[in-house]
Amino acid sequence: MIEYRNIHKAYDLPVLTGVSMRVEAGEMFALFGPSGTGKSVLLKTTIGLVIPDIGDVEVDGVSLYRGGKKALETVRNQVGYVFQNAALFDSLNVFDNVCMGIPEAELESLPRNEAAKRAWEALELVNLEPRDILERLPSELSGGMKKRVGIARAIVGRPEVLLWDEPTTGLDPINTAAVERLIKRLSHDLEVTSLLVTHDVEGGLTICDRVAMLDSGTLRFCGTPAEFRASPDPVVQAFVDRAAAEAALDMAAND
Amino acid sequence: MKRQSPGALPLPAPIVNWFAGVGRASTVTLEHAGGLGLLAWQILQAIVGLRVSLRSVLNQMYIMGIQSLPIVLVTGSLAGIVTSQQGGYQMTSAMPAYVLGSLVVETVVLEMGPVLTALVLVGRIGARITAELGTMVVSEQIDAFESLGRDPVAILAAPRVIAGVLVLPLLVGIADFIGIVAGMGAAYLTAGLGVDSFLYGAQLFWHSWDLLYSLTKAVVFGLAIPLISVHMGLKTKGGAEGVGITTTQAVMFMTLTILILDAMFPPLMLN
Ligand SMILES: Nc1ncnc2c1ncn2[C@@H]1O[C@H](COP(=O)(O)OP(=O)(O)OP(=O)(O)O)[C@@H](O)[C@H]1O
Ligand SMILES: [Mg+2]
Repeated sequence: MIEYRNIHKAYDLPVLTGVSMRVEAGEMFALFGPSGTGKSVLLKTTIGLVIPDIGDVEVDGVSLYRGGKKALETVRNQVGYVFQNAALFDSLNVFDNVCMGIPEAELESLPRNEAAKRAWEALELVNLEPRDILERLPSELSGGMKKRVGIARAIVGRPEVLLWDEPTTGLDPINTAAVERLIKRLSHDLEVTSLLVTHDVEGGLTICDRVAMLDSGTLRFCGTPAEFRASPDPVVQAFVDRAAAEAALDMAAND
Repeated sequence: MKRQSPGALPLPAPIVNWFAGVGRASTVTLEHAGGLGLLAWQILQAIVGLRVSLRSVLNQMYIMGIQSLPIVLVTGSLAGIVTSQQGGYQMTSAMPAYVLGSLVVETVVLEMGPVLTALVLVGRIGARITAELGTMVVSEQIDAFESLGRDPVAILAAPRVIAGVLVLPLLVGIADFIGIVAGMGAAYLTAGLGVDSFLYGAQLFWHSWDLLYSLTKAVVFGLAIPLISVHMGLKTKGGAEGVGITTTQAVMFMTLTILILDAMFPPLMLN
């Protein structure tokens, strides 16, 4: 469960102005919104990478900004974060990058072949051939491959909560489908809570239990996909129509 | 018409601007001082908590030490040669020739060895650290470390600072030695001063703490360079341009710090 309470954050200009929302345990939740509205900033407040000016975040009962260092540590160990631009460590090869996703204490007690097995499985889950890439450096990977290694690193630690910042942007349709399947599987089989930021509105509406839309620093909408599609709000409608048109274009292109 | 009291007179713009500038500069200086202090404290905690990997320290020592050796040897010998030639040129016939030995040794050990080595490392190591960590900030790699529950200070900052403190005294020792040898050769070639007279002059004015003084400087510089460069790197904002800007600022900041610290040494240690 993730609960955002009245999150405010300003840089030079206000970015978030009072965002409150709740993602239930085991839920798949999509967050939409135009570029630059603070979706990534909101995700980062969940694990203290961005400290809100006002407000608090609670993850599985732990209050992040009132619990001090201990709370931050607890939350970071149970949350996996998929960065928008992968954020792989470029001095480490793919294997070491993925292993970094296993919490430090666990990694130290894990035999090396056990860690290797987990890294291998995580890479296969994101449709990568481990044999070919384990030894490679991030600079030797394509953008889409980096992104998927980033996902593997986020899931290898078996987190209870996953934050996905545009995991499918820049992926081809086959890999997009693979990542969507993975998100679904993680929440259905392992009851992982997923908060997914995406520009693929049609995809988000299809796989998620609930969706929200962030616009100009506040939540414009929060509800089920059906409610989203039927929303009378013109801004939401514009988003739905655009998404439908784009989906139709994609269908045509794939035929 | 009522006369304005002098206190109400508007100050001329240049004066106001000057005060504003001083204010800004002091704020920035205080911010950096605070940031450096905090970083040093966090590094100390990481060391005491045994959270620093020995392998990373050794790796950084290799980069800072072994890879810097060639340039340190070159600058060290040039320092000795230049001092020797300059000293020889300034000597008058009234002075005994062996004074040159003392001049070269003292100048190299007290000043040229530590300061030139430190300045070389500002360019070779300091700039590299700032650019490296700055790039990691703007590509969210630092965020990624934190998101995975890892401490960037223990992983990145501490090994660099420990390596700096350990390696710089070694490099300065080497620079001192090679500078003296080169200066001795130059004194022989240009002023015809034999090795015996050179060494006689050198030991005549040698204080036992001179080497300690040189190495203390090295430890202080070896702490300052990685500490400042890590601090500046982690404060990087913006993209590639931001990395460029902070790297330049860091080099200026480190160079000034070395020179200021060097100027503070004689009053603190030589009396
Ligand atoms: N570290 C920062 N310093 C200053 N401004 C920032 C910083 N991070 C984000 N911002 C600003 O906050 C706003 C929201 O950024 P954010 O990255 O959250 O957008 P987003 O909704 O994720 O957009 P996109 O869909 O393009 O990824 C932007 O206007 C950005 O300029
Ligand atoms: Mg974003």
